[in-house]
Amino acid sequence: MDPQMMVELGALTLVGAAALIAGVAEDLESDVGSQSNPNSQVQLAPQMGYLHRLYNKAISGEPASYPFYAAIGASTALSVLSVTGNSGLIGVFFALVAGAFVTSLIHGVYATTSYMGRLASQSRFGQPIYLDVLRTHTPVLMAHGFVANFSVLLLSWVLIAQHFSPFPFVVLAFIWGIALGGVGSAVGDVHLGTDRYYQDRPYGSGVNAAHSGSVVRKAESGLRNSIDCAWFCSKFGGPLTGLGFGLVVYLHFWKEVVVTSWWSALAGVIIVVIFVIMNTYLERYSRQRYGTYKEEAEE
Amino acid sequence: MAEGERSPRQLLVIGVVGGLVGIYLANYLNSMTNTAWFSFFAALGAVLAVFWGADAVRRVASYGLGTGVPSIGMLSLGAGQVAVLLGLAVAMNLKVHWAAPIIALILAAIIGIVNGVMARRVIKMNIAIMEMSMTEIAMAASLIILGFSTAIAGGFAFDLIMKYVVASGFIIAVFIVGGMAMLHPFNACLGPDERQKRTLNLALSTGFIAMLVAGIAAGAINGIQAAVPTMIIAIFGWIIYYLRFFADTKEDAAAVLSTGLLPKEEEVA
Repeated sequence: MDPQMMVELGALTLVGAAALIAGVAEDLESDVGSQSNPNSQVQLAPQMGYLHRLYNKAISGEPASYPFYAAIGASTALSVLSVTGNSGLIGVFFALVAGAFVTSLIHGVYATTSYMGRLASQSRFGQPIYLDVLRTHTPVLMAHGFVANFSVLLLSWVLIAQHFSPFPFVVLAFIWGIALGGVGSAVGDVHLGTDRYYQDRPYGSGVNAAHSGSVVRKAESGLRNSIDCAWFCSKFGGPLTGLGFGLVVYLHFWKEVVVTSWWSALAGVIIVVIFVIMNTYLERYSRQRYGTYKEEAEE
Repeated sequence: MAEGERSPRQLLVIGVVGGLVGIYLANYLNSMTNTAWFSFFAALGAVLAVFWGADAVRRVASYGLGTGVPSIGMLSLGAGQVAVLLGLAVAMNLKVHWAAPIIALILAAIIGIVNGVMARRVIKMNIAIMEMSMTEIAMAASLIILGFSTAIAGGFAFDLIMKYVVASGFIIAVFIVGGMAMLHPFNACLGPDERQKRTLNLALSTGFIAMLVAGIAAGAINGIQAAVPTMIIAIFGWIIYYLRFFADTKEDAAAVLSTGLLPKEEEVA
């Protein structure tokens, strides 16, 4: 193995690890804010008469909000680098931290506006705005967002430094932001939405249209808040999202490094085919094991 | 239209005139004084375009677009982006450098009309104001993108924008931050009790956040001359309009409680 490939594989390991952390933090962040898919249920709840103390954060969907954060973070990092002029390791590190920090502030501001805005627009259903929900949830969102954004910026910077990408830094961070948001929305939302908001329904029954907005509002003790959702999802949904995004990033660049030139495209197709076969077997196995989806029992 | 609301025509004038004046002031004051101190004018113009665009999004999206709010914003931002780059290139080739923002605005209107006609006649979305709204949103988007790009590069010459905004990658930050500033206000205030004043105060607040990001990016290109005035104005503007949005929220919401359990059914009227 030639030394160049050794360095590239080392960089890849770092990139894959950063992607894994980004995925976990991204999913938990969106769970605290009930962003993306499950958001429509939280949004609908007061209209159906189910008032709640859940956080409602719609900064578009995740695939639009994450590139937004990443682009702000990357622009800030570039600006800080141009001011300090220190392109050594420590200079870059602090520039990325500064980028993620500014991003998390803007993220927090946007989150509060969507919580207050949406609930104020539902005043006819009597849904109050709880300032303590705002005060306790927003910092949690910002902290998870910081970790996710720093990881995306780090990942993009390593890719630029190793000449894996022809794009400028901001554009690359933007693209990986879209990918992160997309994976977080596709993988993570499942565990937040049906698993957490509809725990009182039989597993696998799906959500009947009649139960739209009938989210679980009471916790084991007291009222359910959205930080409970992050706790629940940190057991399975979050790590799974991290695994998903880490695999996307790692496998993509692994085939670029190990299988060179145009053959890497063929390798990509083979990887996708392997995943399709695995998923088909997994679904067939679980259908045989658990049977078809059950109709919900009449109440 | 409820009482005390701003009419679409009034907002159109604010957006177009404000946006163009800001962009021209920034470009010519910068080139006359050979500095970048006046870049913030372009960003202020873009904030006014956000103000107008957010209302156009609000009007079309209140037909029940729901999750389509971000989509329509992104589509129009794409139209605006194409219009800006094409407009700048056309102005350069025809040697009418001064007319670039106006050409970009006209091109954005054309792309917007085509988008609107396609959505209404081909895809058959039954929204009466589709063509007009798509045109307005695309025009606002082109002013937003050109305004923030001018604030970053210090002028709207094609080579300046290409070198400092496109090649450096800041164009994508302008795209998404400007787009979010325009589509987020209605998306955040979605609901049956949405009110124009609150949504537009939020639009100005998100517009100033976008201006802050443009100021940060301008620092990488033109140093403190461009960054400091832009960022200071952005922060003050944001504070003012965020507080106004908060005041409107307190006025509109069913209740703003510091804490508490869920209201009982008989308490909810």
